Amino acid sequence: MARLPASPTQRIDPSRPIRFRYWGGEAEGVAGDTVASALYAAGVRVFSRSLKYHRPRGLYGLDGESANTFVAIDGVPNEAAETTLLRPGMAIAAQNVRGSPERDLYGILDRFDGLMPAGFYYRLFHRPARLWPFFQERLRAMAGVGVLQPSGSRERPGRFERYLNAEVAVVGGGPAGMAAALAAAEGGGRVCLFERRLHLGGHLDWRTRLVDGQPLHRRATELAARVAACPNIRVFTHAPVTGVWGENLVTGFLICPEGGIAREYHYECRARSVVVASGCTERPLVFEHNDRPGVMPATTAWRLAASYGVLPGRRAVFAGGDDSSLEAAIELAGYGVEVAAVADARAEGHDPELVAAIGEAGIRFLPGWTAGAARGTNRVTGVELRRIDGGRAEELRCDLLLANAGLQSLIGPLSTLKAQLGYCTRTGMFQPTRLPERAFVAGSMLGLRDVAAIEASGRLAGLEAAAAAGWDAESQIREARDAVRNAPGPAAGCFLACAPGIGRGAKAFVDFDEDGSYKNVVESAQQGFDVPELAKRFGGFGLGPGQYHVPGQNLAMIMAALAGTPLDQLSGTTVRPPLVPPRLATLAGPGLAVHKETPLHDAQAALGAIFRNAGAWHRARYFSTDLSCREEIRNVRANVGVLDSSPLGKFRIYGPDAQKALQRVYVSDMSKTKPGRCKYSAMCNDTGNLMDDGVVVEIGPGDYYFTTSSARAGATVEWFRYHTRHDGWEYQLVNLTDTLGSLNLAGPNARKVLAKITDADLSNAAFPYMGYREIVVGDGVPVRCLRLGFVGELSYELHAPSSYCGYLWDLIMAAGAEFGIRPFGLEAQSCLRAEKGHVIIGTESEQRVTLTDIGMGFLWDSKDTASKKVGAPALRHASGQTDRLKLVGLRIDQAERRPEDGDIVIDGTEVVGYLCTTRMSETLGWQYGLALITDRHAPEGGTVQIYSNPRGTPSVTHGTVVAPHFYDPEGARLRA
Amino acid sequence: MAMLRDYLRPTRLWAPAPIKPHYQVVIIGGGIHGLATAYFLAKTHGIRDVAVLERHYIGFGGSGRNTAIVRANQRTAASVRLYDEGLKLWPVLVDELDFNLMFFNSGNLNLAHSEAAVAAFRMAIGTANFLGIRSELLDPLQCRELIPALDISDRPEHPIQAGMYHPPGGTLRHDAVVWALAKGAAAHGVHIHQGVEVTGIDTDGGRVTGVQTNRGALQCRQLGIMAGGYGTALCTLIGLELPVHPLTIQAMVTQPLKPFLNHVVSSGAYHVYATQTLKGEIATGAHMDPQVNYTTDPTARYFKHQAEALTDFMPVLKDVKFMRTWAGLADMTPDMAPIMDANVGFDGLYLDVGWGYFGFKAGPIAGKYLAEMIARDQIPEIISPFGLGRFLENRYAGETAGAMKYGHWDS
Amino acid sequence: MTFMLTCPICGRRELHEFLCGGQERGPRPPQEGLSAEAHFRYAQFRSIPPAPQPEWWYHGQGCGVWFKATRNPATNREERPGG
Repeated sequence: MARLPASPTQRIDPSRPIRFRYWGGEAEGVAGDTVASALYAAGVRVFSRSLKYHRPRGLYGLDGESANTFVAIDGVPNEAAETTLLRPGMAIAAQNVRGSPERDLYGILDRFDGLMPAGFYYRLFHRPARLWPFFQERLRAMAGVGVLQPSGSRERPGRFERYLNAEVAVVGGGPAGMAAALAAAEGGGRVCLFERRLHLGGHLDWRTRLVDGQPLHRRATELAARVAACPNIRVFTHAPVTGVWGENLVTGFLICPEGGIAREYHYECRARSVVVASGCTERPLVFEHNDRPGVMPATTAWRLAASYGVLPGRRAVFAGGDDSSLEAAIELAGYGVEVAAVADARAEGHDPELVAAIGEAGIRFLPGWTAGAARGTNRVTGVELRRIDGGRAEELRCDLLLANAGLQSLIGPLSTLKAQLGYCTRTGMFQPTRLPERAFVAGSMLGLRDVAAIEASGRLAGLEAAAAAGWDAESQIREARDAVRNAPGPAAGCFLACAPGIGRGAKAFVDFDEDGSYKNVVESAQQGFDVPELAKRFGGFGLGPGQYHVPGQNLAMIMAALAGTPLDQLSGTTVRPPLVPPRLATLAGPGLAVHKETPLHDAQAALGAIFRNAGAWHRARYFSTDLSCREEIRNVRANVGVLDSSPLGKFRIYGPDAQKALQRVYVSDMSKTKPGRCKYSAMCNDTGNLMDDGVVVEIGPGDYYFTTSSARAGATVEWFRYHTRHDGWEYQLVNLTDTLGSLNLAGPNARKVLAKITDADLSNAAFPYMGYREIVVGDGVPVRCLRLGFVGELSYELHAPSSYCGYLWDLIMAAGAEFGIRPFGLEAQSCLRAEKGHVIIGTESEQRVTLTDIGMGFLWDSKDTASKKVGAPALRHASGQTDRLKLVGLRIDQAERRPEDGDIVIDGTEVVGYLCTTRMSETLGWQYGLALITDRHAPEGGTVQIYSNPRGTPSVTHGTVVAPHFYDPEGARLRA
Repeated sequence: MAMLRDYLRPTRLWAPAPIKPHYQVVIIGGGIHGLATAYFLAKTHGIRDVAVLERHYIGFGGSGRNTAIVRANQRTAASVRLYDEGLKLWPVLVDELDFNLMFFNSGNLNLAHSEAAVAAFRMAIGTANFLGIRSELLDPLQCRELIPALDISDRPEHPIQAGMYHPPGGTLRHDAVVWALAKGAAAHGVHIHQGVEVTGIDTDGGRVTGVQTNRGALQCRQLGIMAGGYGTALCTLIGLELPVHPLTIQAMVTQPLKPFLNHVVSSGAYHVYATQTLKGEIATGAHMDPQVNYTTDPTARYFKHQAEALTDFMPVLKDVKFMRTWAGLADMTPDMAPIMDANVGFDGLYLDVGWGYFGFKAGPIAGKYLAEMIARDQIPEIISPFGLGRFLENRYAGETAGAMKYGHWDS
Repeated sequence: MTFMLTCPICGRRELHEFLCGGQERGPRPPQEGLSAEAHFRYAQFRSIPPAPQPEWWYHGQGCGVWFKATRNPATNREERPGG
């Protein structure tokens, strides 16, 4: 279809055609088109089929108000045609269609709507119960809208997101929003202005009406130019706001122009103050067949003509409730549409200037009339106009029916902001009755229609917002208040709940997305769902993709009318974020990346390490594809292995009260630390659960170096300070975990390897088990060396500055070559320590067991009450209890299928515990297990049954309870 | 024909009743728990002099805000027994209440991303199987056979190592459960009072005697606090301290799509559970606020997090759009098991709190036993592991393995 | 709902920088003669009215200080002197 002649309001460039595909055929739009305007220009009227009845649906709003115009674009479902810019080569398809949009096989469902009263599915298909799964699958197939293609584009729209700070954020770039931004910017603070559409200007953008001798669209351009010139206003267009959250956090996404930094990106703006100027939209008129293609808000047709140069129809009938419809009628007549009649639900109160203009244009004006029913199926072909009092009716032919029941405010941002809203009996709209701190409202959403009044209210809100953010603007505010007072106030609204005489209104739609009709509202109320929030859930009003936009205020008004509730007590439904649906990829932005790499990551990767996530880290878990790690284990036991233990928590605590802090959080008597010695101890929580273990070394007077488990490294500072927060103690605590890397050199040859690279005396006498030495390794690397034995062999833990760790690793590997050194990973370590009976927190401990239950009670200094040790009261209490889980060792019988970690322990019909860790040990020659089982079954020598059934065939294996120290119970090898 | 007429001209599911000054039993909370308890009190135990008081409208709280997932593959045998009976109760209720609760028996797939999580699965699977409940361990390929949208490669931040598949689970329509129970309770004579807010609890000599409300005082002999996350606030009215922390938990849905996710999928590492509703939306749940509060306000942060998490392990969702987010309250206990107890602090006071985010799954079955507890004034064996006293004895139920940090719920 | 909290050292910051340590319940009671019940009540039993309560917060993504703030669970906002 040829476009209308060029006009100053057009936002298209007809000289730049854009070719695309629709429903298998070729079509052409022009630069500046949205998918919707291009399709409409190409003659498409039926865009989709509705959810329940498969009724034909056409273009409704131009801002994504409903699912009517959802299309699939290049395989991506549920794209809003009205807000998606046309790009060359797009392949566009209609949705929820069987056959074609115009001839749909399921269209017959529309005849059976009478059999589908509100909530019908709750009362059908469930008897007999065995039939339900069949119906369920049919319902599932009928429901949904778009089809997700596994092979869809699925590209991230760009790994980018933007975080902004501002004194004032303004939501809405119409005249009020622009005036607010300009006023707020006078204070010098940072202002961010967010507009969902491609251009600033709001409803002025397409209006040619002269005000003070100037067309309104030019006024918009002028304001936009001033905004653009203001250095402290940042303008974000095509940037819908998804919500205004607590304390004025404005979030949204920005759709970038072609060649931008990303396709779309997520933004968040933390603002001191916020101005909401989101404007109004037409309130849908609820009348019979109000969903027919060609029935649309007046603004849609107006914008099609003015902005996109598309003639929306040949013969239009208006049925409005606001002066903007009168203005639209005059404008559309000017664009060449034949206007058959302008009905207006208001009997009086029209703008006399517009009424006169309508008369001059020879258009029939019918005040006190509205639309009662639309004619036609795939296109509207006519309308039955009715008098508001139901007195008379008249049929008119048309191919465009522009209907509304006046305006409603776009309350979304206010609702997410938690403003209190009430129905205003003058404007006929929900309006804020109480605003949260530092939030302000301006513009047409306050009921203002006069452009000067709208700008004045914007200016006032902008000044107040800046003042709330700290600018002294008292005198300016006073002047702005006077200006608002002197400008025309809110206009009287339209109070029509729905068209007269629609009776049970089978096909008068309150909600398009889920085919929620007036009849369904009545039925919901009849079944007891008589407030909007309940009806919304029962009948599904406002739960579809358009959310509150179409049913919002109408649902509340109709329910109030049915219940006889006075309008001033009207309550709506909650509008929930997002106000505009964001794409998950856009919201995700750069995505998750939460794991750290150790300084030895690359060195290990080069040796074939297989990494796994472990807490905050990527750690080497295996060094071969043999996940039982036989070779790694054997080599530690027979020769020597090296483990990257860098994530180990490493801390320094010092100060006059450092020891008191240690006494509080550790269960042992920490006054017994000695220089050069590692003191092993544990930390508990208030219920006596093991939280952490590690060693503490005194490195000077009131100065200690200590280690924690890797998992607790991030929480240790917090833990110490929490448990001493009331005490006012003086100590400093430094987290050295990332500063120092760590290698564990373990195995009978460990001393020989280390001796090759240090001059320090490593003899047993000079550096015994549990000793601590600060030594120099290689070319002068300072190393804190701890002689420990977590894996049950002679071992040295070497803590060195992270940047030296790579060098240290190479040195050790070279020195160890002749002694058969190999790296080992976390899995081998776990097996080695389990053979030794050393616990791993969270593996052999859980919330039902205390320190005593897992055999570590010996660490607790039970006599100390003065230090108020964390966990001591719980340990004291539990020591007298029976019927608790205990940690035991198991020697597990040979079985065809070996029990695995997590298998449960049973007795008769009772579950009495579970296996924490179990492995077939080559070292021992049998399968050991560490298990938590009830104390009744815990005595050594007893037999237990292990039940496992991971894949459907149960088996029971027997085990004998033994001490949980399977390997070298005397600890001779550690001390060797 | 009469049937068809009834079908086409439905009548009220439950009739409003005038508020009486005295009831034998008053239940605070018109959610699934309160309504189910009232229903079973009236139907099974013949106690019809029951009022259910609801501050807003029935199902306003957690009952209407959860993601309606049901399952019986918990960590401990005590819980599995209760939840399993709960699963078996749904079809009975559908029939008894003559209401389609839309039980979608999709089965639940829980993902493990570490060896430790796999071990935890074996424990839960062993426990379920030992009690005769289907549950099995799947490898990543089998997981993808169930849910082709899963990325089982090494690319995701948390690669998938295994799955726990639990065929008996699925989802229901949560609101329908509320309405059906209201219908059933009212049919047996229970009074359901909406818009009635309890502002005080009256006691006399160690006994509960009634409640004060915005609509006047009501006397009762027995009082049940079954108000979900608001239970802790109600208990403050009589100075009752609890190891329960109400936290806001967030959920959201995408725009509707044709069926492609045929099972409930969840992952602890990603803090995600997701299902495709019968209407085609992906309903997915998320984090809890870390601080106690009674608001039901969603946060921008968790909204964003959910997109990050979902698209990381189900990249096919990248082009899908979120349509709505909301939040409800989860009343967390340190061991993630509920508290059901009788005569707590005061004779005649019955407590049903601390369900955390599992209140929906066991709603009706809890109601059945709570009704028995109130009717007989003794605690039924199956719910006896869930008494308040366990927290004074340091005997946690073990529904989570994690040890608590600072006394409030902070795992 | 997203809110902001005032760190005594760093000033107003986003909530996600902080970790909540729960209600203030005073220093640990003396352990000499402390009953198990009294201990467990101190450690985990709480009364949470929908009214402002003193709490402990930790500025984990910041300076690492524990501090007391007053916040209302009914509104989920910090109560600041002078708003």
